[in-house]
Amino acid sequence: MPLPRRLIQPALLGIVTVIATSGLIYELVTGTLASYVLGDSVTQFSLVIGLYLFAMGIGSYLSKFLDDKLLERFVEIELCLALVGGLSAPLLFKVYTASGAFRLALYVMVTLIGTLVGLEIPLLIRLLQFSLDLKELVARVLTLDYIGALIASLLFPMLLLPKLGVHQTSLFFGILNAVVALLATFLFPLDRAIAIRLRAQCVLITVLLGIGFGLVTKFVDRSETVYFGAPIIYTAQSPYQRIVVTRSPRTTRLFLNGNLQFSSDDEQRYHEVLVHPAVAALGHDPKSVLVLGGGDGLAVRELRKYESIEKILLVDLDAAMTDAFRTLPVAREINGAAFDDPRVTIRNEDAFKFLEESKDSFDLAIVDFPDPSNYAVGKLYTDAFYHLLRERLSFRGVAVVQSTSPQYARESFWCIVQTLETAGFNTAPLHVYVPSFGDWGFVLIGGESLAPPSSLRIDPSRLRWLDAGTLPELFRFPRDTGRVPTVTNRLNDQKLVAIYAREWGVFTR
Amino acid sequence: MERRAFLTALATGWAVDAVAPQRKLMTGRIIGASHAVGHLLRDGGAKRTNDPPDVADVVVVGGGIAGLAAAWRLAPAGLDVRVLELESFIGGTSTWGDDGVVPYPWGAHYLAAPNPDARAALRLLEQMGVVIGWDAANKPRFDPRLLCHAPQERLFYRGKWHQGLVPQDELDDNDRDEMDRFSDLEHEFTTKVGRDGRPAFQIPLALSSKDPDLLALDRIDMRSYLEREGYKSPFLHWYVRYACLDDFGAEPEEVSAWAALHYFAGRKLKTPELEGSHFLVWPEGNGKLAHALLQKSNAAVRLEAFVTAVEVLPNNLVDVHWMDTREGLARRTRAKAVVIASPAFVTKRIFPAGSERLPVRTSSPWVVANMHVTRPIDPDMAWDSVVYGAAGLGYVDARHQITQLSERTVLTYYRAYGGADVIGTRKALVQMPWERIADDVLRDLHPAHPELREQIERLDVSVWGHAMPRPRPGFLTDRPFEPMVHLDKRVAWAHADQPGMALFEESQASGVRAAEGLAAALGVELGPTWL
Repeated sequence: MPLPRRLIQPALLGIVTVIATSGLIYELVTGTLASYVLGDSVTQFSLVIGLYLFAMGIGSYLSKFLDDKLLERFVEIELCLALVGGLSAPLLFKVYTASGAFRLALYVMVTLIGTLVGLEIPLLIRLLQFSLDLKELVARVLTLDYIGALIASLLFPMLLLPKLGVHQTSLFFGILNAVVALLATFLFPLDRAIAIRLRAQCVLITVLLGIGFGLVTKFVDRSETVYFGAPIIYTAQSPYQRIVVTRSPRTTRLFLNGNLQFSSDDEQRYHEVLVHPAVAALGHDPKSVLVLGGGDGLAVRELRKYESIEKILLVDLDAAMTDAFRTLPVAREINGAAFDDPRVTIRNEDAFKFLEESKDSFDLAIVDFPDPSNYAVGKLYTDAFYHLLRERLSFRGVAVVQSTSPQYARESFWCIVQTLETAGFNTAPLHVYVPSFGDWGFVLIGGESLAPPSSLRIDPSRLRWLDAGTLPELFRFPRDTGRVPTVTNRLNDQKLVAIYAREWGVFTR
Repeated sequence: MERRAFLTALATGWAVDAVAPQRKLMTGRIIGASHAVGHLLRDGGAKRTNDPPDVADVVVVGGGIAGLAAAWRLAPAGLDVRVLELESFIGGTSTWGDDGVVPYPWGAHYLAAPNPDARAALRLLEQMGVVIGWDAANKPRFDPRLLCHAPQERLFYRGKWHQGLVPQDELDDNDRDEMDRFSDLEHEFTTKVGRDGRPAFQIPLALSSKDPDLLALDRIDMRSYLEREGYKSPFLHWYVRYACLDDFGAEPEEVSAWAALHYFAGRKLKTPELEGSHFLVWPEGNGKLAHALLQKSNAAVRLEAFVTAVEVLPNNLVDVHWMDTREGLARRTRAKAVVIASPAFVTKRIFPAGSERLPVRTSSPWVVANMHVTRPIDPDMAWDSVVYGAAGLGYVDARHQITQLSERTVLTYYRAYGGADVIGTRKALVQMPWERIADDVLRDLHPAHPELREQIERLDVSVWGHAMPRPRPGFLTDRPFEPMVHLDKRVAWAHADQPGMALFEESQASGVRAAEGLAAALGVELGPTWL
């Protein structure tokens, strides 16, 4: 049942517009992904556009080898394009998160799409050449081709990327390609059996891509792209938390349940102050180190600078977290592939349970948990927990505890100090200004002999921020962050969680 | 299957799934108290044997807290102690289960930090490592990990959850005023001392004041008391009703005002460590305590042993007739002394000679449901979740004290039947099919948890026909606090029915008292009392 003759021409020209639009959309999608993941957007867009146009040339050249059954070939090319282009964004994303071969996959994908798009227009022109003269035909087709490009370049940044995100955009245009293919089967007479086969394939691919379109939001929440203010390059949902890594040209950031954990442009301040004063306070070369939390491997990166360390045991609840920071290229770049170090052992279990069951002792413990914003994490800030921690430290051992901001959550900070003292520790609180966080606090803890260190045990040239002159300054608290009377945080009365919620509430509302 | 058929199936299957997510099939069954076997006794269908008896030093009838405590008290004497338990589990209404993910309670699920006077309870807790020391004022210090972690309770009130049982921000002025007044009253009674110099309300009960003005409270019910004192706030009445049902399984009009006030004013231990919560909580509830009593006694437990009669012989020995209900065989054990640690109404049947000395108690029926669920982790999940206005008392989360987070846990739902017609209720409950009870549980929680049905893999139910004695007005009798032990020189009785209030400390003390009372008959030296 072919279309009425008078509709064929407009329909075909409509098809030209759609395929022109979708062709450019794939180029924009892959270019965007490349700049998200690899950074340096000028280089990435330039490479993608160049490769894509070159591949279109290949496609145009190859079109001369297609001689008969042009309509069938056209429909098949559209279906291939629907699949490859439609799945391009989710597939590339998957390749990126699963392994490191992103660049190769990207260039293969761009070449493939470009070749298929390059085949489209020559074939269409040949399909239409019997109904129009060449002058008219070339003029119309190329006009619409360029109009399609304009539509794509306007729609993509203004509507598609912010509303649908790259994944749904690429799937949506994949569906359009499949629909175009289906429409084409009605434009010219086809052998009945062939028509049925082609239409069935069109419907199947449309449905498959439609399912993909519906499901992809389960894995990627496009609203987060806007929320975090930078493109998301990795997300994972574990039973415990949602992990999001974003990357803008300048910084890479990690968010857990929407809370910033580090920003690559200033995390050195946080992690150098977390680790090096504690080693200095130890007064001797550390051999065995326990890291509780710290699944991003950044504290481990600092610890690896001490050759005396023989073993580092990292206990982090969430395997999704440690796996990501062991394997993701961007994470390995930031933590220096810290988890590949043979001295490092990772255990994915509850820190409380680990301390209850462990028999080992450690010279140094780095306690780097998320802030006590709920009762489950709050348990890791109680006197009962610190009692257990004390039992795991060797004679004259030292630990350091991440203790939220003494600026935004002053009482919370001193509540943690008091709770540590209730558990029998001597304390030496310290703090550092981290621009992306604010003024941030830690507490050095140890036995009777604990004192703020006066010199580092590492050559400052190996550090990016901390130096001998800054070290004593860390332990000085100005009047607006100084000690306030507060309470002990206990398992059966987690006052810290309420104090923390009240103090941070002022800043987040 | 043909390719096309396969694809069609795939496509339609997906479409159906998308519109109607498949309902998870919930399974479960009724487990627990052997009503049928127990009623054999009532109906006189039990067999006896004349085969030569087994011989032991002491037989304890009943493996609940009182019986296990008696065995525990006898441990230092090194006697041959046999515990005969009707059910296939120990602990009585403090029993527990374990599904391989987490242990969970089937009954009593917490112990309030015992008063310094509850010495037997503190002794056990010290043996268990729960009491880790004593402070300068000689008050016990508890392992902080075992005190109920925060947040303890939450209330579903007017469509949302509130932390704690009293939603301060939602109450109107009258509710708040009366709650404040009641709280003052609670404080006043907690510190009040009677004319005889004893605390108005003490645990153990027997150490409470016998001041007639205070004992007069036993002559009226709690509801009348509240009315007499001018309490009208609906929230306060709900609150007191919740407490009466929770502790005694009875409506306020079925509870002695003395008993109800004892609940609010009996706890004396105040230390900074207990400020947040003075509840000792284990995943398996008081099953932990039952298990500890058994472990620290040297007794041999015989399960599914249904005692039909206790008979004192002329030769100063006692025969205990029992049935091995698994094999259906009649058995007999001969002992030098016997502790009957069963409720008063059972004790009367197996040892009629002691009938006159036993009190008449009403017992409350309960339904306990264990819901095995998989649900998203809530880092702020409370231990005890209560739905305002629901028929049941809410549920506790077995995982609460376990720091390791998990999506799988067991929620234990409790419902007490507190009305006056306990016999009719009991009869109806015993006949109720699982489907009906399970459905009632889910409906009761539905306002707060419409999603629960999808999260439950298994919902098991226990119907406790005689869960606990009900301290009705007059339960203290005209000779209050006189612990009755001996039914005979060689037969002692131990049960929560004795004080008339089901508290761990009371049940345990009655077992200890029974054991100590038999020392002379057994010819052993048990040393100074543990009470």
